[in-house]
Amino acid sequence: MRTSPFFHFLMLGFFKERKKHIGVIAISLVILFLLGSALFISSSIRYSLNQTLAWEPDFVVQRTQGGQKVNAPTAWIDDLLEVHGISKVTPRVYGRYFFKAKENSFLIVGVDFMDEQSNKALRMMMDETDLKQFLKGDNMLVGEGVSTHLKTHFYPNGYTFLTPKGVFKKVNLFKVLPKKSNLISNDMIIVPIELAREILGMGEDEVSDIALNVPNDDEWDNVADKISAFYYDIHVTTKEDIKKAYENLYNYKGGVFLILFLIVIVTFVLILYQRYSMVYSSERRHIGLLRALGWSIRDVLKLKFFETMMIVVIAFVLGVALAYLYVFVLGAPLLREIFLGGANLPNSVILVPVLDFGILSSIFLIYAIPFISAVLIPTWKIAVTDPKEAML
Amino acid sequence: MMKAMIVIDNLNKHFKSGDDIFKVLKGINLQINSGECIVLKGVSGSGKTTLLSIIGGLDRPSSGKVLVEGESISKLPDLHISHFRARKIGMIFQHFNLFDHLTAAENVMIPLIPTGLDMHEVNHKVEVSLKLANIFHKANSAAGRLSGGEKQRVAIARALASNPAIILCDEPTANLDRNNSLKFIDILSQLHEMGKTIVVATHDPLFDTLPFESKIIPMEDGSLVDTFSKDTLAES
Amino acid sequence: MNEILLSNQVLVYLLSESILFGLLLIAFVITFGILLKWDFGSYSEQQFLLERRAYLTMTILLFVFVVKFLLLVYFVFAIDSLSLLVPGAMCAAGVISANDYGMLLLFLKLVILFFLLLWMALNSYDLRAKNYPIFRLKSWLFIAIFFIISIELGLNFAYFSHIDTLEPVNCCSTLYGQLEGANPLPFGLNIMTLLLLFYLIYIVVMGAMLSKQRVLSVLATLLFVMIAYYSVVYFFGTYIYELPTHNCPFCMLQVEYYYVGYLVWGTLFVGAYLGIVSSIMEIGLKEERKKEQTSALILLSIFVLLCTAYVAIYYLRNGVFL
Ligand SMILES: Nc1ncnc2c1ncn2[C@@H]1O[C@H](COP(=O)(O)OP(=O)(O)OP(=O)(O)O)[C@@H](O)[C@H]1O
Ligand SMILES: [Mg+2]
Repeated sequence: MRTSPFFHFLMLGFFKERKKHIGVIAISLVILFLLGSALFISSSIRYSLNQTLAWEPDFVVQRTQGGQKVNAPTAWIDDLLEVHGISKVTPRVYGRYFFKAKENSFLIVGVDFMDEQSNKALRMMMDETDLKQFLKGDNMLVGEGVSTHLKTHFYPNGYTFLTPKGVFKKVNLFKVLPKKSNLISNDMIIVPIELAREILGMGEDEVSDIALNVPNDDEWDNVADKISAFYYDIHVTTKEDIKKAYENLYNYKGGVFLILFLIVIVTFVLILYQRYSMVYSSERRHIGLLRALGWSIRDVLKLKFFETMMIVVIAFVLGVALAYLYVFVLGAPLLREIFLGGANLPNSVILVPVLDFGILSSIFLIYAIPFISAVLIPTWKIAVTDPKEAML
Repeated sequence: MMKAMIVIDNLNKHFKSGDDIFKVLKGINLQINSGECIVLKGVSGSGKTTLLSIIGGLDRPSSGKVLVEGESISKLPDLHISHFRARKIGMIFQHFNLFDHLTAAENVMIPLIPTGLDMHEVNHKVEVSLKLANIFHKANSAAGRLSGGEKQRVAIARALASNPAIILCDEPTANLDRNNSLKFIDILSQLHEMGKTIVVATHDPLFDTLPFESKIIPMEDGSLVDTFSKDTLAES
Repeated sequence: MNEILLSNQVLVYLLSESILFGLLLIAFVITFGILLKWDFGSYSEQQFLLERRAYLTMTILLFVFVVKFLLLVYFVFAIDSLSLLVPGAMCAAGVISANDYGMLLLFLKLVILFFLLLWMALNSYDLRAKNYPIFRLKSWLFIAIFFIISIELGLNFAYFSHIDTLEPVNCCSTLYGQLEGANPLPFGLNIMTLLLLFYLIYIVVMGAMLSKQRVLSVLATLLFVMIAYYSVVYFFGTYIYELPTHNCPFCMLQVEYYYVGYLVWGTLFVGAYLGIVSSIMEIGLKEERKKEQTSALILLSIFVLLCTAYVAIYYLRNGVFL
């Protein structure tokens, strides 16, 4: 491609005076890096959540008393099976086990491994032979966080639980759950359902809650209404509710971050305005000369606009690339705490790379629009320089 | 019959500073024909540069008109006056006014950029005018590294780049030694032969005796004193 | 705080719109000042100053025009992604109708882009002439645009702060669906007559543009936009979705349909805008606008071809129509 003389001149000026632009590019990089990292982390977390939630049942039915969740009777299961449109009913047993030494807790999840329909995700993690082995003794699968925690407290191979009845129960560590699912499974311990009941002190005819699937999306509202009418103390949660709650949580964190970020943007705009007013006033003579040599205001505006765009694009590409490296290759040390904080065990989620139009365009707009707006007035001021400046 | 290239009609220019009005040009009338060479002579502050700027469309008059090839340039919108500067005017400044960080060739390219020519044509024109100004051998040297005489020749090449009909020179020899000044006058006579209309503002006595036909117009305190040509002087 | 307002995209969008408004406010103040004192014949310093100031308005407006265009795409994209948070919404259709402001806002955006494009055309004519012949006209047009944009800014905030995330909304199936007996098409048309009109008016538009019948071309293009809208929603769209009951102008903007909606609506509106604006310029200012007319022709033809291609490909593949 043959370049036009205009672009030739643009590049000449840009590279011969690149020192002038380094400061602005550096500030831009910092801003883009922070912004990009934050949005990458939050969208990656959201993505992982959605992935994990895809395995979750459509409905969860719980029993509530006085607004508190209590164990539900197994008798409910048969009633639910009667409802038209429900394809699958799974009783679930889980609860928190508090680790006395530190104020930490594990999530104990009981799984009925004999039930063909139980959690697909789990079954995929273990092949058949493993499963037989696993069911032979008192074994458990633990999340990354639990495993590390146990190791640091000198329980590398298992742990002895103290049940509510005051009995000690020794359980072997069978396997650590894969890292990919860490967002949810970090503090999780998976054991066979009977063992879970024992550790959590639940009766044979009790379950924590009941999961349901309704294959036809259109039936959801219908089914939810029907179930709610069954018992006065029944509470139904849909997957959509959970999804929305998480979505809101991470939107909220991202949103609060963005609002804080507004302050940064305002500062950035002020700095840019100052900086460009200064840079441009030093170029006054040069621009006057261009004008004297036949450049119109429009030509100068065009030159300066393209110069600005080059800075914007260069900084954008570099800044986003840096943020990408930091988040998805280095795993976002430090910043992740803000987004994943609140979990009671150190979380080592792998951030799955997510790069979509929404994030990229958001970063670009929130960076480029304030940038160009800040530069607009100084640019105009310099572009209307009187050509007679060159004669003085 | 000579064609009138530039007609200046009752031109006034004043600057305001606070409540004071400072009159720099007072009622100037002048006709410059195509191919003529005019030398504006006058002491410092007499308004030569100001007059030149207005003729070149770099500055605007306070009243009166400047017609170039019959068209008034004094009230043209920026886009058109810039276009006029780019096509019709070749400007040679007192301080050379080169971009020091660019090469000679790149400097010469500048007035061609807004004309919308493609790279090939631009390079061709740059080469032609560098050769005309006898500085082609330094085409790729940074302008800041050139000697005063060489800088002046680059400035001439730049003024010639878009092949303008009018060449305006403001104190062209003020920063040159005698030898280089004489070389400049050589090039000027070459331009005269090419048929360019030339206006020089200077107080250098070298221009009193140009080797070609020229008109010396003394300026004093913002007015043209008298107009007579060297030849008519010799005849009488 | 409202969870909608905390969504990243909404925040970015509202911030961008606010910044643009700030710039427009500057341009408005300048333009108003210029209009009061403008006297092109004068040689006064002030007049030259005003002429230079006018360049700031031009710069701001050009920037606003480009960004508003990008922001329209971003806006549609943002509300599409909000459909996750609004119960009942499957695509942008549900979100945009979550309150009374949405549709009006979208409509205003299209109007504003049209007038900004008209302003650009007037401005380029004004700059090319040697005496700013329509300076006042374009300035008043800008002032009018500024007022519309002020309303739009208000609507932006009203719209996003009034989306209820608990109240379920209706989505495309109910908004655009053909309820029994009710005919959603205008003028009592049915699908066959609608399609007949679609191609007929397209031919009229082409003919009017090529034979330089400017007034006819403006009217025909306006009519074509309207008929094309209904044709896409009630006929061509169903081929994009490959589902005879799916009538929606928004779902096609989603990734499932390869974002083809942006191309469909983009070619229609950009083509129509260019055609109308250039015809208006030719009527009002007697100025040849060949490039814009040709671009308009090409874009509208791409639009018609694209729509037709969806039907044709479906037929070739399945041997039947929907
Ligand atoms: N922008 C301005 N504001 C006020 N006064 C000015 C301005 N420009 C020029 N002048 C004044 O106008 C007068 C004429 O200036 P001009 O530069 O035209 O003189 P000149 O003949 O070129 O002088 P020199 O030989 O020193 O270059 C000077 O007294 C100068 O101070
Ligand atoms: Mg001078």
